[in-house]
Amino acid sequence: MRNTQAAWSVSGGAGIPNETLCRQKTQLSNRKGPASGACARLATVASTGSTGGACSLLAVALFISVFFLLGGCATPQTDRIRATASARPQPVELKEVPFFPQEEYQCGPAALAIMLNWTNDFVTPDELVSQVYLPKRHGSLQLELIGAVRRQNRIPYVLRPELESVFAEVDSGNPVLVLQNLGFWWYPDWHYAVVVGFDLPGDRMVLRSGREERHVVPIEVFERTWRRSHYWAMVVMPPDRLPFTAEEIPYLQSVAALERLSSWETTATAYATALTRWPKSLAARMGLGNSRYALGDVRGAQQAFRQATQEHPDAAVAFNNLAQMLAIENRWQDATAAAQRAVELGGPQVGTFRETLKQIEAKREKQQEPLGPP
Amino acid sequence: MEKFRRLAKPVSHLVVAGLLALSLHLPTAQASLIGTEAVINATQAQQNRERLHELLNREDVKSQLVARGVDPSQVQARVDSLTDQEVQTLATKMDQMPAGGDVLGVLVFLFLVLLVTDILGFTNIFPFVKHPKR
Repeated sequence: MRNTQAAWSVSGGAGIPNETLCRQKTQLSNRKGPASGACARLATVASTGSTGGACSLLAVALFISVFFLLGGCATPQTDRIRATASARPQPVELKEVPFFPQEEYQCGPAALAIMLNWTNDFVTPDELVSQVYLPKRHGSLQLELIGAVRRQNRIPYVLRPELESVFAEVDSGNPVLVLQNLGFWWYPDWHYAVVVGFDLPGDRMVLRSGREERHVVPIEVFERTWRRSHYWAMVVMPPDRLPFTAEEIPYLQSVAALERLSSWETTATAYATALTRWPKSLAARMGLGNSRYALGDVRGAQQAFRQATQEHPDAAVAFNNLAQMLAIENRWQDATAAAQRAVELGGPQVGTFRETLKQIEAKREKQQEPLGPP
Repeated sequence: MEKFRRLAKPVSHLVVAGLLALSLHLPTAQASLIGTEAVINATQAQQNRERLHELLNREDVKSQLVARGVDPSQVQARVDSLTDQEVQTLATKMDQMPAGGDVLGVLVFLFLVLLVTDILGFTNIFPFVKHPKR
């Protein structure tokens, strides 16, 4: 038993009862054990553990739990990455990504502040606490982090649940916010961290995590902790830059969510940026038109909707919105024609199209009344 | 008191529904620009009924956030920045969702178990556990 104690004390004193691990972490993080020798330590425990009744019970329990865990902890993504490691031989590390050490329970605000500051939105973790922290849960929800990003006029984009996406983003210069469960499903320790680097040949990832500016972990360890959040990862982008792995519809959905907040400058820029990668995107063109209209640029909106009708002659929504713009400019004939086209094309919103047509015709008659014969 | 509490939620829903019914002209489709979200999601049948439902969800999420300690003056802004779908998710399973925050309160036994699993590389709780190069 004494041996066991000695073995553990190498890694920084085991007997700290009734303290939260959060605090232990800070106390112990300065007392690093030897860089190698984890396996040796474990061997000592295994051999000495079998002396004495309590210890053997502990050893058996540990053995069973470890055996059980081994069965459930394959790391398919890491294996896949290793198979293609030669494709990215150079280590990548985004050294310019800032760092905010977390306060107790506040890894959400801290990680989010790192992401936002990287996009030149100079917000502090303290300012974010009231926006994302859920006091009774001692943590922050993913959806609330997403909402906070939108309020800062940035585009949150949730990545495909694959290591390849994370590495592709980091490789193209974008840090990646991840949710990990550092513990187990039965003993969860949910944690937000920011991936800023990786080294495939060296089998390492670098994270801004908790109080550690450079937390280095083997890729498979990261995968195990990350898998428990169903591989949740997100990038935070300024509206004039697209995530490297962005896909058209998911990206435009993330942008459209900002319309609810009337962040029209931001959405206009983001839709225009999306059009540089997907020039024929109906949703992006329509979004650009809607944003311009909301900003008071009727001419610009009309131009966007017209282009949408030309590129997508069967898109009734484009004709409907074009008709509205033409009506504002009192171009009744063109407006009526566009509205009629929308009604002809029909679709789930045909009720709105009919209403548009009706309104335009009514306004047209009103306008022309004074000019008509008495 | 208990009875009152049980009634509070359905009653508040009724009140909200009533207020909304005053402001929503349910049967008429309004002539308007089609929003970008509608373009993306394409199928927007039963828009109005869904809208009523979503607004109820929003009220529900707001009261859930307040119940979990969020400052009531912040709640509106927090809910406003979520999409209908996200609000729906929060309304139905806020407590099943992980809240990242490093919440730990643990006894020595668990500390030992987790230290071992940390060393083996199944968990990554303790920053002082260093992994040797493979």
